[in-house]
Amino acid sequence: MKKKKFEWGYLLLLPGLGFVALFLGAAIVMMALQSVGFLNFTGESSFSMEYWKGLFQVNFYDNLIYSLKIAVCASLICIAIVYPLSLIVKNMPWSKTWLSLLKIPMFIPALVVCLIITNVLNYNGILNAVLGGLGLIQEPLVLRNDPWGVGALATQVWKNVPFMLLIVYSSVESVRKDVLDAGRNLGAGRLRLFWEITLPLTMPSALVAVIMTFIKIFNDYTISRVMGPIYPSTLSNLMHKQAYLYNDWHTAACIGCLMMVTAVIFVSLYTWLGNRLAKQLS
Amino acid sequence: MTQGLRVQNLTKYYGDYKALDDVSFAIEGGQFVTLLGPSGCGKTTLLRVIAGFLECDQGEVYFGDKLINDVPPNKRDAAMCFQSYALFPNKNVYENIRFGLRMRKVPPEEHKERVEEAMAMVNLTGLGERRPYELSGGQQQRVALARCIVVRPQLLLFDEPLSNLDAKLREKVRVEIREVQKKLGITAIYVTHDQAEALAISDQVITMSAGCIIQNAPPRDIYDRPNSRFVADFVGTANIVPCRILERTGMEYLVQSPYGELRAVDADCDLPAGAEGYLCIRPEDLLPSGKGESSNQICGAVRTAVYMGNLLDMFVDIGTEQIRASIAKDWNVTEGEAICFRVAPDKVRILGG
Repeated sequence: MKKKKFEWGYLLLLPGLGFVALFLGAAIVMMALQSVGFLNFTGESSFSMEYWKGLFQVNFYDNLIYSLKIAVCASLICIAIVYPLSLIVKNMPWSKTWLSLLKIPMFIPALVVCLIITNVLNYNGILNAVLGGLGLIQEPLVLRNDPWGVGALATQVWKNVPFMLLIVYSSVESVRKDVLDAGRNLGAGRLRLFWEITLPLTMPSALVAVIMTFIKIFNDYTISRVMGPIYPSTLSNLMHKQAYLYNDWHTAACIGCLMMVTAVIFVSLYTWLGNRLAKQLS
Repeated sequence: MTQGLRVQNLTKYYGDYKALDDVSFAIEGGQFVTLLGPSGCGKTTLLRVIAGFLECDQGEVYFGDKLINDVPPNKRDAAMCFQSYALFPNKNVYENIRFGLRMRKVPPEEHKERVEEAMAMVNLTGLGERRPYELSGGQQQRVALARCIVVRPQLLLFDEPLSNLDAKLREKVRVEIREVQKKLGITAIYVTHDQAEALAISDQVITMSAGCIIQNAPPRDIYDRPNSRFVADFVGTANIVPCRILERTGMEYLVQSPYGELRAVDADCDLPAGAEGYLCIRPEDLLPSGKGESSNQICGAVRTAVYMGNLLDMFVDIGTEQIRASIAKDWNVTEGEAICFRVAPDKVRILGG
């Protein structure tokens, strides 16, 4: 039997795979080890499940629910805005110019976005002034650092719509005009055309956009810190507090692990739902 | 039988470019009409205006007696077969065909029967579960056709539906399209730049150039009695040379041309004696004959002769001009050989400038 020859070409994969293994794989393994008591920076390292049990004492669930609420709501609001926006921009003259203008918020740093939205939603902001001026409210609404997370939600939507638009627009634009014309010709109105043709054909891209936005918002630190409620906050804020305020790196590692697991569960859920919807529509 | 269509003074601009220039024609119900012309002549624009995908700048489109200018495409009782087939990639064959029934709110209990009937009509039985990408070009075109006929429209529109198919398949699907249209009695408008296809499939051919209708006539008239140099040249092959009319007696003419003096019988020509015009002779109307054996002869020397299988295609030098002749394949000719052709006077056409 001929001996299998070693393929030296595989070595070319080493730089890429090595980077992933070192900075991603190793970091995840280290965090997992930290969550069960190993790799202690300040004291003795030994196996312990105490940090996992302690999660109940750091209001983990309140923060988890808040993170999920903001991430799910913001990503769904974003996609609800992005689809009509894509269709409108696609059919507008100078669509490329409009698209470029709409992408601007994506390049503005999160802190600057917070400042812009603060000017709108603040106690003395534009929105309260307009609503008060119109006599619709008696006293200014609390829309920043509010318990419902309206400020954080609005900021997340403002910041993430352009990112989602980038993905969804190219997909909507790629739906062939003759296919849509064929649909209209056979009796479909604009809404049916969207539901029957555009939506199923662009579903994979929309799904990617929603998942990526969800993960971005779920893991957000800055915006919820500046615009969100004091309590609860996102898991990133909780993790930061545990690690840097209480110097409790083990509990922070537990939160980190759970953030990753939750993200994976929700990504799978989104994918499953998306595929199911696409199947139903086809 | 379905309703007819009437187009009146239709004009369409793309910016400063006039894509349709005062186009008018009428089609009787159940007729198969072809819009024929070179690329960019406005035939697809005209079809899209009729379908409602484009708005015209001037003019009216009537379906029967009803003005449909402001009726959106989804409310016009027309169905269109696209050049690219335009099947819905997310739906299987059955759902593609059923789509129109659902959109037009046909009772669901009728769907299965009507879809299966349409599939049978275009030989697609058993392919209902397939996705468009699993079908050949010919099958995809049949799905597109079935998707149109299943809704039983008043008007069927075809935008170069066969241009992506190979020659054999094109011929086969062409025959199928015509059979289905005849069987259902649907008025059909078919866009093509393929003159053979137009002649083979149509009741009426509308020849277009630069946004205008040049000739609107049955296929035989388009080929045998072209009304202009453009139609004579575009439809089939023609020898066209300048000529001067020497004598005219009724519809009989004696003309002087680079091919010599020839007699012509042309009922459509209205040029007087002494006028300048163009002489048009189809290559297949030239019949080899011995020198002096008959009148109305054209003589020259063979420049090239190409064996085409079903005929012999040759170019013959006549002074400084050339004439093309398609003769029976069994003739043996050599390059440089002297040859004469006779042409029947009623095969010589005189066209205005």
